[in-house]
Amino acid sequence: MSQTKLLFAASLLGAVLAWSTAWGEVPGAARPANLAVPSGSAIPLGESTVDHSKLKELQKNFASGPEVTKACLSCHTEAAKQVQHTKHWTWEYTDPKSGQKLGKKNIINNFCTTSISNEKDCMACHAGYGWKDANFDFTAEANVDCLICHDSTATYRKLPGDAGHPVYERREFPHGSGKFVEAVDLQKVAQSVALPSRSNCGSCHFYGAGGDGTKHGDLDSALKKPGKYLDVHMDAKGLNFTCSTCHATAGHKVSGSRYEMAAALTGPAETRGKAAASPAACQSCHGDKPHKESILHAERLNTHSNKLACQTCHIPQYARDSIGTEISWDWSTATRMGTDGKPFLVKDSAGRRAFDSKKGNFVWDSYVVPEYRWFNGHVSYKTKGERIDPGQIVEINRPEGEAGQADSRIWPFKIHRGKQAYDSENNYLVVVHTAGEDDTALWANFDWQKAIGAGMQTAGMRYSGKFGFVSTEMSWPITHMVAPKNDALGCAQCHRENGRLEGITGIYLPGRDHSYLLDNIGWMVVLLSLLGVLIHGGTRAYLHFKHKG
Amino acid sequence: MLKISGGFLLGVMAALLLVWSSIGGLMFSERLSPYTVEETTARIQQNIQAAGNGWSISGLRNPAKPIEAEGGNVLPVLLIEACSAQYSGPILKDDGVRFLSLLMPCKISVYKKSDGKVYIGYLNAGMIGSLFGPLVGDIMAKVVVDQQGFLVMDPSKPAPALIIPKTGGESGGASGAEAGC
Repeated sequence: MSQTKLLFAASLLGAVLAWSTAWGEVPGAARPANLAVPSGSAIPLGESTVDHSKLKELQKNFASGPEVTKACLSCHTEAAKQVQHTKHWTWEYTDPKSGQKLGKKNIINNFCTTSISNEKDCMACHAGYGWKDANFDFTAEANVDCLICHDSTATYRKLPGDAGHPVYERREFPHGSGKFVEAVDLQKVAQSVALPSRSNCGSCHFYGAGGDGTKHGDLDSALKKPGKYLDVHMDAKGLNFTCSTCHATAGHKVSGSRYEMAAALTGPAETRGKAAASPAACQSCHGDKPHKESILHAERLNTHSNKLACQTCHIPQYARDSIGTEISWDWSTATRMGTDGKPFLVKDSAGRRAFDSKKGNFVWDSYVVPEYRWFNGHVSYKTKGERIDPGQIVEINRPEGEAGQADSRIWPFKIHRGKQAYDSENNYLVVVHTAGEDDTALWANFDWQKAIGAGMQTAGMRYSGKFGFVSTEMSWPITHMVAPKNDALGCAQCHRENGRLEGITGIYLPGRDHSYLLDNIGWMVVLLSLLGVLIHGGTRAYLHFKHKG
Repeated sequence: MLKISGGFLLGVMAALLLVWSSIGGLMFSERLSPYTVEETTARIQQNIQAAGNGWSISGLRNPAKPIEAEGGNVLPVLLIEACSAQYSGPILKDDGVRFLSLLMPCKISVYKKSDGKVYIGYLNAGMIGSLFGPLVGDIMAKVVVDQQGFLVMDPSKPAPALIIPKTGGESGGASGAEAGC
């Protein structure tokens, strides 16, 4: 090989390496190492330094949840105070950007709509005891429910209607179903406490909006013991993460709230001990340049993290199980009775609720392809009393963010659609008193007027006496059910016409978008290359035959 | 003469190429469903049960299950197996075409694609039948008529429940032995 050729080859190799290094690395940012599974995940009971069954304080026959809490607090003196500063207790969040009072205590959502006036039912998922109306004492430490998060027996259940208390007496549930929930043995539960497992968190978060998989789309009971296909991190036979492996918790404050999301974290993986802005993010462990395949391919993928959330490619569908998720709830058909004049239920082909006279129509689906939005982590809400335009679809919440913003990425969302009641004179969503046995509860008397009247009165809102139904939608960022890397989206899922990102604006997406100039330059290069090959090959062939003879 | 022979051979090759490239599309058909995978499957099952002519549901397979068990993901797919002894009997009795038992029971696939839509895939029984003589051709012509009936989606009817046959069930395993096919 001639010296010139060697020099040329070396220059080319150097250029490629320099280019890929410059493109792929942020100066000073260390490439994240392969991290071991954090030690906080799923500590087996046998590894605890305390055997709670031996503690004198827990040898009593407890008659109620608050009695157990008092016993817990006799050792864990600061625990209740810590819990009382969290959203699990307050159900309230003040948006620092808008000043809006949010949280379950305040908002009207797209499912059961609101907890206001329905506390006795909704508080089955409150980490406390006795919240049945606005008079609940948020300062009473004995009202904190330790067991809902720390029960390891799976026998501790809180049912709607009990204002957050567990089942003290054997009871049929659901009413008329012939199924019974046994009374809890509080002593046994108290003596068996452990770090929260997937089942603990899931007892509320898998069943949000009154049913398995109903609300989130990426959280359902299949995650109690998931296979690798469903969640590569929580795989029961693999990494076996619990929720708190990612949602790292300190002083009972659980990281990774949907209200305080960081949608576009950059930099390397978090260092242990360093106060992390959002330790529940993918980047916390993987850094923002996680791909390590062949250098050019990896860098190409890593540069996508400037525009895409990890979840966009790595959660190709959500609700990837037979449980599925609810994608629509239409309240306008609630109170419709059967031919016999009585309330009735209809199930869909997969056995999921499709109609309930109490609640209206539902649509469910499994393996749902997400919808995509620009998202900067901030969500604005349509709060109660805020005006709506009934001629338009009301966005109960709206993820903010747009192309070009440094803190925005393209995120996958579950968009839950529905219809719900609004005051047709004042043009705002109404508070409906749904749950309860009293005469004004919708689910007891099937009378919208009475139920809205009672709900609005409790909420302290004016009601004109006239109501209608308006189309609504609510957006839920998808971040669980991460598929194995081999199942991540391929290029052609987005880089084509009518692909997944068809609705995303503000970027030039090769394959989807076309530029007359660029396309023509590209084709010109192809044609010139072809022409060059033909001329070169032809000339060589011509010279070969000419020399031959 | 050489030119004529060459042209003829070229024509034959072009025709073979055309057949080769379109044979897949001729043997199988696909159509869109307005319902979820489960509801589409349940409606087809209901149609099969109502079809008469000896049709019964002999199995429901979920080919995605074994892949999930291995840790992989595929979009949902359910394979409905239906059988009519009235149609399968004469074919199974004829040694000359008995190998067509490979195509039994009759299968209809319901699956979701990455566009989020649900599709129904089925064998083009008429085309297959025409390849194997008059006996098979006549039977398959009747199967085609029934098969079209299976795929009718009547939105005025409420969604039926998915039928999980006792043998086989919703799994990737074997099923359908009791239905006689």
